[in-house]
Amino acid sequence: MRLNLPRACRPQHLRLQTTPPSTRRAYAFQAPGGAVFKVFNSRSKWQQKERAAANPELSRQADYLKDEVAMRVCERLLDIKRHFPRVLDLGANSCNIARALTRENPDPDPATPTSPPLSNKITSLIAADSSATLLHRDASLPFNRQLDLTRQVLTDDETLPFAPASFDMVLSSLSLHWINDLPGVLAQINNVLKPDSPFIGAMLGGDTLFELRTSLQLAEQERRGGISPHVSPLADVRDVGGLLGRAGFQMLTVDVEDVVVDYPDTFALMQDLQAMGEGNAVLGREMGAIGRDVLLANEGIYRALHGNEDGSLPATFRIIHMIGWKEGGNQPKPLKRGSGEVSLKDILEAK
Amino acid sequence: MQPNLKVRPIQRFAQAVSKCSAEAAVYGQCVFKDYNSVHKDLCAKEFMQLKNCYLV
Repeated sequence: MRLNLPRACRPQHLRLQTTPPSTRRAYAFQAPGGAVFKVFNSRSKWQQKERAAANPELSRQADYLKDEVAMRVCERLLDIKRHFPRVLDLGANSCNIARALTRENPDPDPATPTSPPLSNKITSLIAADSSATLLHRDASLPFNRQLDLTRQVLTDDETLPFAPASFDMVLSSLSLHWINDLPGVLAQINNVLKPDSPFIGAMLGGDTLFELRTSLQLAEQERRGGISPHVSPLADVRDVGGLLGRAGFQMLTVDVEDVVVDYPDTFALMQDLQAMGEGNAVLGREMGAIGRDVLLANEGIYRALHGNEDGSLPATFRIIHMIGWKEGGNQPKPLKRGSGEVSLKDILEAK
Repeated sequence: MQPNLKVRPIQRFAQAVSKCSAEAAVYGQCVFKDYNSVHKDLCAKEFMQLKNCYLV
């Protein structure tokens, strides 16, 4: 769809890619080949993920957030009474979703003696991510043998190399917040789904890391007299519904959940973010490490502004969960406008 | 952390800073008091005390 690939591509990925032709003509919200507003440096992001995964021990220690969110995403599968033959995990990180699926059933049915793990609802899972090292980090762990898992390395985070209408479900956990062209990627997800199939996703948004954002801004302002972005701009809950609707999804569900993690100091927080591969990758940031003066000032300001009484420092992660269904089948739809036969006014006034 | 791995400089830095929590608190309070109109070197004096503490 988009042909102006960034010049700073990894060497082996310079070949141009075109998305498979769409089967469904939608309202043209973006001219093909048109400029896409770039916010994130996808090469830096890829590098950060590769580096983080190169140290498996540290990287596994910092997986608590991704595992937690993957579990919550998978719990939503309990509500859908269906079997999914072919499922895509887009932006799989270290296959956290696969790991969450093979855990014991989080909602065991007391009527049956054994409750199978959620992975029984899925025949084959394809985990796709752009970082090969991170994707294959846990390839030798036992959970890999409990479900049919295929790992696929994407050449570009924002182009899905899959045939239209080829998946029965798309899952995505904590990776969509690094996508530049979110409307485009959501439209592609819609395209690869079979009719009447769900997309279940979770991304960071809204006030995520607002404590770090504000205290770093104050520290830079006071120490250096100016600020540069250290925390990504993120989509808000309000925007996500509109984005999903624009990509052609039906029966939308969007909800928010805050996860607050307490850290001993700001250095522990930043080190964990780095080990998660969630470092700063905003285009137009000041390259290189943050100066020591600013870090020193940040430590004091974070504690004064947001610190807990017991001396720990809270960090908020706001997770936006979204569910959308591709149109098709005998999906329930809202009635046509003006087709109502009973006036609500009569009913409410009669009471 | 593995023992054979070199200690990262940032961790030494973090450890040095953790010994100066009193000075850091004074500096933090100074910025916090006036956080709507922060400008360069608003709390220069407090910051120098914090920096002296960690350099020692």
